[in-house]
Amino acid sequence: MAFKIETEIDELVAKMTLVGELDSLSARVFMTEIEKIADKSILSLVLDMEKLDFMSSAGLRVLIFSKQKIGPQLSIFIVKPQELIVDTLEKTGLHHSVTIVDQYPV
Amino acid sequence: METKSFPGVVDSLDELRDYIGELAQKAGLVKKSTYSLKLAIDEIATNIILYGYERTGLKADFTVLSEITEDKLTVILEDVAAAFDPLSREMPDHEDLTMALEEREIGGLGIFLTINGVDDFSYEYKDGKNRNIFIMKIVKS
Repeated sequence: MAFKIETEIDELVAKMTLVGELDSLSARVFMTEIEKIADKSILSLVLDMEKLDFMSSAGLRVLIFSKQKIGPQLSIFIVKPQELIVDTLEKTGLHHSVTIVDQYPV
Repeated sequence: METKSFPGVVDSLDELRDYIGELAQKAGLVKKSTYSLKLAIDEIATNIILYGYERTGLKADFTVLSEITEDKLTVILEDVAAAFDPLSREMPDHEDLTMALEEREIGGLGIFLTINGVDDFSYEYKDGKNRNIFIMKIVKS
């Protein structure tokens, strides 16, 4: 399924809505969106994953890259990820570094 | 064995996952096992395409061979890139997996997810081809 991403920036918060499947091809699109916000003073990155059906390690690498590029002050919120994606975040320990929430603002 | 070939480009991954989904459905795998198998195969296929083919300028297909028996689904990814055993790579250990994101190395997660997602994963190099072999047990309900 085709991947789509939409970004909205509201002061210190960048919200990205991810739809479809995030593999090594679509991760390039996700990475480009992150690079676009990298020089802005963003404190929270909110990723709405309710309609994201698949995420490979290429997607995880973009999450790691976001934190490394934007800086340790960045908080990453993942909104409503599907159960199998939560499973991937847990297996790889990334759930320790992001906050999984049902809605944002929390 | 059933076989299907895909061009060795990242645009093939979407179609590859759909095909694996069809095989999993035929084999009667549950949703979670289907997802894990798709993820494992996507990870290895990505490595074949990016490092085996694209990086070396090799334009070639890769092939999916599959077999469903009463108790298991076997899927083999075959490619003609230089010999590479994904199991030879160092896997992230517990310490790596609990490290803060800002200190993390970016590699190694794909093979980790592969091995953790399937019931058995093995590799062999035979007749000039890399063969990555994935096995999912079929649990009868």
